[in-house]
Amino acid sequence: MLGLGADRLRADMNRLLALLFHQGVLDEQFLQLQQLQDETSPNFVCEVVNIYFHESEKLLRNLRGLLMERDFSDYKKMGIHLNQFMGSSSSIGAKRVRNVCVAFRAASEQNNRAGCLRALELLENEYCYLKNKLHELFQIEQQRVLAAGARYPMQN
Amino acid sequence: MAPTIESVNQGNGGFEGNNKRSDRFVKATWKNKLTALVVDNGELCRVLERENLRAYGVETVAVETGEAAVELIASGSTFNLIFIDMYLPTMSGPEAVRQIRAMGARSKIIGLTAFITEKDEQDFFAAGIDEFFEKPLDPDWFVPIIREVDNQI
Repeated sequence: MLGLGADRLRADMNRLLALLFHQGVLDEQFLQLQQLQDETSPNFVCEVVNIYFHESEKLLRNLRGLLMERDFSDYKKMGIHLNQFMGSSSSIGAKRVRNVCVAFRAASEQNNRAGCLRALELLENEYCYLKNKLHELFQIEQQRVLAAGARYPMQN
Repeated sequence: MAPTIESVNQGNGGFEGNNKRSDRFVKATWKNKLTALVVDNGELCRVLERENLRAYGVETVAVETGEAAVELIASGSTFNLIFIDMYLPTMSGPEAVRQIRAMGARSKIIGLTAFITEKDEQDFFAAGIDEFFEKPLDPDWFVPIIREVDNQI
């Protein structure tokens, strides 16, 4: 009976993952992260995603800070922040966030401040959605691990 | 087919991490001990590039800046491969590559960026890189490069 809890949670994780893939929020690069997780680094995916959260929030603050400057004109600096955000998003499979960065970059290259502001808002929303969903995924995973561990302790 | 945790890791479960990472990477065996330097300002990219290369048996060091990379080479460190981001703070990727090549380094240098433009490609190749790819590191393209380097030693 206890085992059913772990199985059900695994099914929940797979459903959530399928949804995120279907929505284009994540791509196969996210699954590749798990290839690097093993018993010597059992929390690798979680740690890497937390690094992504930390970096992304800093980049979003930097981008908003730049655009809020009264005499903002440093589009080159904005491009550098966007480049980093694109690179990190691609690297963890955050497809939709990466795509918004590409559009943001295009507005930045045209020195289009209004376009950049619109893109920033979209980026903040996309990032927020992604973060919430990844937290949900990791919560289910934590519950699954607990449920699986409580099932038959002697089997392992 | 919808992605599932089971489909990720040859049946051992994705998040569980209860298998050695070598299940996939054991196929990569090299004749020589290979070394790589990763140069990237972003911690996430630096960690992932380093861990991907290590998983394929390449001893890898990662630094944050072009200056740190140049200092490392100037101090006598040698690497078979260098993976370097285009956009680095203060000293750019192309400038770092120019200085590394000027010191006589014969490493295979792979330029990386989040979004390739024609101008970036021209600048980076003019600086002395051998290959240029968009992130992320993908075994489909970096494993053949490692194999080529291994065969040339």
